[in-house]
Amino acid sequence: MYAQLLTFGAAFLGSAVESVEALTIVLAVGLTRGWRSPLYGTVVALVALAILVLVFGQLIVTRVPELTLKLIIGTLIVLFGLRWLHKAILRSAGVIAMHDENKSYEETLKELHGSVLRQDWVAFVIALKGVFLEGMEVVFIVVAVGGTSGSGGLPIAVAGGLLAMIVIAVTGVIVRKPLAQVPENTLKYAVGVVLASIGTFWAAEGMGATWPLDLASVLGLAAIYFGASRVAVMMIRRRKPVMA
Amino acid sequence: MRFLRAAVAEVIGLFVGDWAQTGVSVGILVIGWFVLSRVHVAGIAFLIAIALAAQIVYATTLEARERAGRS
Repeated sequence: MYAQLLTFGAAFLGSAVESVEALTIVLAVGLTRGWRSPLYGTVVALVALAILVLVFGQLIVTRVPELTLKLIIGTLIVLFGLRWLHKAILRSAGVIAMHDENKSYEETLKELHGSVLRQDWVAFVIALKGVFLEGMEVVFIVVAVGGTSGSGGLPIAVAGGLLAMIVIAVTGVIVRKPLAQVPENTLKYAVGVVLASIGTFWAAEGMGATWPLDLASVLGLAAIYFGASRVAVMMIRRRKPVMA
Repeated sequence: MRFLRAAVAEVIGLFVGDWAQTGVSVGILVIGWFVLSRVHVAGIAFLIAIALAAQIVYATTLEARERAGRS
């Protein structure tokens, strides 16, 4: 039960963050150029992403031995989580600017205004590119978290990812503007800690390690990563005044 | 072609921000694997997390210092 909740939660949070970014792009295109082409682009991208999840998910679950899978995917999740955590620390410390959906929205608008010919094609490609590229991270999170969670893990991770996408899409349709109020940086911080912890847990299991208290050790790992990240933020802030 | 290149860059970018930092992280994991294969004590794998956590503290403070030096 605990493992299933962890799988669902990690897939949901990670997918929600990336869905907000994809939605910003689709909204910018749809509100300025009409909805038909960007929606086609979004659907094509979602179908491509679903195929990737099915192919890689099945391939990983059925072909790769469990320990090898945990070692490889665990290592990749550690690298992925540490990358998110790294950025989150620098943002929290004010070294780099917080991710701003309004700014991303304005940038996409500028990109669209620069193109004059074949407007529908441009809208289609920008929506497709935005959703597909942002969705790659969703695919990785869902396949990695679901594939290493034992039997039945993949459908739970897929459900978490899908629910996140639906929640964000429905919210976007209702408010019809970029979801700047979503605490995206905080979510990325949390997901960074969770993924680094799960990744370390699985990678070490793949190396043959045994954890005291089994999956509950993930909480200890999360405490280590969260504690270290706060230390880093404190050290950076002490060195220099906050920029943002 | 540009789209494919962007997709490949996106996939690599999922795991690698700075090649040196990624190399250090992978190095810690490899050393951890070596130690775990010889020392069979429950919970020793926490050392891997501590090493990775120390690595991220070092890498982020270093990047902050470099950025401050540039501006």
